[in-house]
Order: sequence, then structure tokens, then C-alpha cells
Amino acid sequence: MSDSAWQITWFTLSVAALSTLLILPFGIALAWLLARREWRGKSIVETLVALPLVMPPVATGLLLLKLFGRRGMLGGWLEKTLGWEIVFTWRGVVVATAVMSFPLLVRTARVAFENVDPRLEQVARTLGSGRWRVFTTVTLPLARRGLVAGALLAFARALGEFGATIMVAGYIPGKTATLALSIYNLVQLGHDPEAFTLLGISVAIAFCAVFASEWFLRRRIR
Amino acid sequence: MTKRRSLRLVFLAVLAVLPLRAADLNVFAAASLSDALKEIAKLYEPGSGDKLRLNLSASSTLARQIKEGAPADVFFSADEAKMDALAKAGLIATDTRVSLLSNTLVIVVNADGGAAVNKPSDLAASTVGRLALAETQTVPAGIYAKEYLQRAALWEKIRARVVPTENVRACLAAVESGNVDAGIVYKTDALISKKVKIACEISAPDGPKISYPLAIVKDSKNIAAARRFVAYLSSAEARAVFVKYGFLPLR
Amino acid sequence: MVFTEADPMSVELSGLCLPLAHFTLEVDAVLSGRVTGIFGASGAGKTSLLELIAGLRRPAAGAVRIDGRPLTDSSTRLFVRPERRAVGYVPQEGALFPHLSVRKNLLYGFSENGARPVGLTFEHVTEVLEIAALAERRIQTLSGGEKQRVALGRALLASPRLLLLDEPLAGLDAPLRDRLLPYLARVRDEFAIPMIYVTHSPDEVMALCDDVVILSQGKIEERGAPVELFVPAAAPRFVRR
Repeated sequence: MSDSAWQITWFTLSVAALSTLLILPFGIALAWLLARREWRGKSIVETLVALPLVMPPVATGLLLLKLFGRRGMLGGWLEKTLGWEIVFTWRGVVVATAVMSFPLLVRTARVAFENVDPRLEQVARTLGSGRWRVFTTVTLPLARRGLVAGALLAFARALGEFGATIMVAGYIPGKTATLALSIYNLVQLGHDPEAFTLLGISVAIAFCAVFASEWFLRRRIR
Repeated sequence: MTKRRSLRLVFLAVLAVLPLRAADLNVFAAASLSDALKEIAKLYEPGSGDKLRLNLSASSTLARQIKEGAPADVFFSADEAKMDALAKAGLIATDTRVSLLSNTLVIVVNADGGAAVNKPSDLAASTVGRLALAETQTVPAGIYAKEYLQRAALWEKIRARVVPTENVRACLAAVESGNVDAGIVYKTDALISKKVKIACEISAPDGPKISYPLAIVKDSKNIAAARRFVAYLSSAEARAVFVKYGFLPLR
Repeated sequence: MVFTEADPMSVELSGLCLPLAHFTLEVDAVLSGRVTGIFGASGAGKTSLLELIAGLRRPAAGAVRIDGRPLTDSSTRLFVRPERRAVGYVPQEGALFPHLSVRKNLLYGFSENGARPVGLTFEHVTEVLEIAALAERRIQTLSGGEKQRVALGRALLASPRLLLLDEPLAGLDAPLRDRLLPYLARVRDEFAIPMIYVTHSPDEVMALCDDVVILSQGKIEERGAPVELFVPAAAPRFVRR
């Protein structure tokens, strides 16, 4: 495998990992809220969260481009206060992959929380545990498998992200070149053999990630 | 009875003849020709009875599509190299090839508070953090731009700031959105957009030789209609439209 | 070994009102026995009543006070969180934590420095309930009766001042119930913690309770000593078929 193939692979794994880590706290918190609480407008929240799953990825990418562009609402503010440029940089890749994989994490985590018997949480309260202690000592351990599976699924999705990423970050060699974007570019250039090498790497990584996710879901509580 | 049968015969005869007149022409043309060709289509269609289907994209993308068997009748490329490649693969009717137009490269910045670029060497200044170019290995506009920058000894200085785009119109859009500080596009593209302004023009002696060749695809199913259209493109009426949009006629 | 007689504790349920699926639970009573039974058919609202006392639900209106101290009061919007009430709750089917061992389950609510009645130690509780040998076992390996005893022990070790038991012996067959009843009696006698005991079995009421409230469709239908209400001749409708 050539140097650049290694670099592209490493870059893809890093942004996918970073993106997954970033969405974990929000995704888990939202999943818990959706599993355990009712409120007016809850179905709107559920729909919004599901949108990136159903909309064409480039459409989501376009929305993000408008939002995080230099003149966008969030992009302008971020550049002014933190000096962060989002579009056409690795940060843009992270944003695109985070948004696209978020719904998968929330869905899987929500089911994991719903499968924890609320009775157990109630009993724990009567035994003197406050809400946070109940969450960490009862809910989280019992939901752990599903949460890990959700994180792995989100990671796998982030690895393969293309439509939103190409909109928000574009393909800039050395700066935003993920596996997916690189394959596309190599095909455009007519360099099919190199494209196939990257294709093989993508398949291998995705296979491992999804396999691990399924394995986690299926493991019985010891 | 006889009257109805003869009416039906006339009806069928008309139907049989009509397709011969009304052809659907697939015209694969470079993105920079978008607006000019759309206007030309409006002038051409009523008179000829043919319908023009314009596939507008980067010439590199179009060439690849033709190579993979896409149903094209006419190919109008933004550089000779793409046409040469197809000719070598035996995909075009070489006797129909003609180079009609040229163009000028310009540096554009956002019309609303863009970076200050008065001469090409200003591209290397710190105010130009990001420069949009059409993909410099395949898209003609990008190839031309890189060729110019190399000749002006600017390429090495600015190559780290380049944001490649899929075609020249995407390059223009990037400058319009304000997400890049400057871009290099054709003068004809810059003139279309109100959101960018031309910071400086790359004059013909400094710039690369830009040439737009046109040819009929060998496997075309509408050779006659294609010939008619190619002939029209060389006419004075069509040339006036091209000139209006800023193209430079060759010949 | 009896340490102390259970101090009379009064649980005051004043004007409690909670709309349920098919009727409204309305309770206004003061409970003050050692073991008060709440008797009624399935769906009469017994579990909901326990949840109100434990603080796991809020009523639409009304107040819950223990020994005069208000825990829930809709008129002042007071609601003490369940973890602060020191009210133990043993639901039907025990609800043991499947990811923890028996020992960890038992000690879940146990605090080393907490004030507790004399004798409420891990050793003593496991001895009384005869579950000491199960300490390192996994929950999934326990039998139905063992699970109930562990659930009971877990609630006790959290030092509650009131214990709510929701049909602890339901779902167990008759011989097992007969074997477990003495444990409940032992808990009543040994640990001096007042209990509210929900059941639909007259035998359990007769064996354990000194006061019984009969709940039907969310309202208190009758109240009194078990002997008065459950002797067959006096109230044939409560006799088990």
C-alpha cells in the first residue's frame, strides 16, 4: 500500500473517530430523553433527528454549507470568535460526518435505553440513589451493549460519508481527502487501479466495524 | 368507410414522417458554454424542429461519459486535449471537427467586499487565504489556470491554498458564496454573475491558448440533425450570441 | 429475638387523587399499623397507591405525610424525591439488578455511615432471610423464592423507615408461599419496620397484617382488622375459591 493510501486511510479513521466521540454525549443524552420523557413537540424532535437519514446526503451537505460557510450563521461566528474555518477544511469533514451519523447513534441508543426495565430504575431511586447515580449504576451498565453498538454503527457511517462531505469540505488532497472522496477523484482521473486499492481498504474497514457492532448487539448479558 | 380509412392513412403517414424531422439532439458541452448555448437553443429549435438536450458539465466528465458509451451526438469541449483523447479512441467523426471559440481567463473576487487583487502576483498575498480553481488535472479551466500560474511563477507559492472544484461553474459559485477569497474562471463566466467582480484579466499573450473544439460523435443516431446543428453554430447568428457572452471567435 | 416493638408510625394519605385508565384513585386515610394490608382485585389501583407513597408518581391532588412530615403536598407543590424519602419498595417480581451479584444487589442502598436501627446489618439480614449462602451468585441462577428474599433483604439494608411490598408472593406456587410467609413475619418481628403490604390473597392478610384496607376501583371500600373482614361467614365474597 502506498504512502498516500496509508495517509488517506489514517485521515479517514481519525476524522470518523473524532466525529463519533463528539456526537456520543449529545446522542446518548438525546436518546435517553427520547426513551424516558414525553413533551410537547417531541415528535418534531424525532423527525428532525431522522432527517439526515432520509434526505439525500448532498441536500444535507448543502444545508450545512450554508450554515457553516464563512457567511453562514454558524460559520461566521465560529471564524470570528474561535478563528475556526469549517468549510473546505478537515473540520468540515468532521461536521459533515457527525451530522450524517448522528441519527444512527440516537436510534440505536434509544432502543438500548428502552430495553432497560424502568422498574429497575424506580427501585434504585427508592434505595436512595439520585437520578444521576441511577443512570450511572443501573441504566448505563444495562444499556451498554446497545450504546457501544450504536457508536460503532455511527463510526462505520462516518467512514463512508461522501455526499455531505464533498459539499462541505470538497476534495482537497492532503487536507480533506477521505477514502470515499479519494476513490471518487481517482475514478474521475481514470486511475482505476488505485481507486480499487482504496475500495478494498474501505470494504475491509466497514466490514469490521459493522461486524463488531452486530456482535455487540447479540452478546448475551453474562 | 373509405373516408375513415384514408384519413387514418394520412394520419399514419404524417406520424411516420415527423420523427425524421423532429430529432432529439444530445449536446455534451463544457459548463462555461451553458448560458450561450441555452440562448442559442432557443433560437435554433423553432426553426429546425429539432430538440436540443444540453448536458453541461466539465469537459473531462463529458469525455469520460462518451467513452463509457453515453448517447451523445455532439461534443463541444473547452480544450483540445479532451477532443484529442476521444479522437484517438476513434469515438468522433474527425472530419466534422472544428475549433470555433476561444476565451480569456480572469481572476475574480467576491463583489461584496472581496480580497484586494490588483495584479496576478497579489494572489500570493496573505489576504488570499483560499483560491478556487477547477480541478487542475482534468478540468480544462483548471488546466489552463495552472498552466498560467506556472508560467507566471506563482504556482508553487499558492498551491497550498488551492480549493479544487468539480467544474468552472462550481469554481464561480465558490467565489460567489464567499467561502474562498478568489478564483480563476473564464471571462464569460465572470460576466454572467453579479456576485463576483473581475479583479484582473489575464491578457492573451500571458495566458494559455484556450480553444473550444466541436465535433460530431461517431456513434450518433442523428447524424443529419447533428450536422445541421454544427453548421448553425458556425453561422453569423450563433457567433453573435457567443460574442455577446464574451467568447472570442477563432477564425 | 425481638429488638423493639415497631413504633407506631402514621402514614397519612389526605385527599389523594390520581386519574387512572378506567377510574380515579381517591384515598383519604391514616394508616398506622405494624403491617397494614391493602387488599383488592387486580387493577384496583393498589400499585398506583404504593407508587404515590414511594414518590414514584405524583398525584393530581392531595398529600402524603409520614409521622406528620409532608412528602407530597399538591397544595404547596411539595414533592420530596424518592431517594430522600427512606421509603423502601419491593415491587412484584423483585426487580433485582441483573448486572450485579446478589451481594452487590443487597448492598446497593446500604451506606456505611447511615443511621440505622440496631441489628440491620448485612450479616443479620442475610441470616434472618437465609440468603447468606447466595451472596456471590448471579441473579439469573436464583429460584423465584430466593429472588424474593434477596429483594426483601435489599430493601431492608437501605434502612427504610417504611417498607412497601407489592404482592411479594404473587407468582409463586402455594407451597413456596407457605415457606416464605414466615420470613415476612420474621422481618416484621425482627426489624421493627412498619410495612404496607399489598396482596390479593386473604391468607397472607390473615397471617401478617394487623389492619387491612380494602380497595376497589380506586376507592376504599372497607377497613378494619383482618379477622373482622375475612372470616368466611361474615364476608363470603373475600373467601378464596
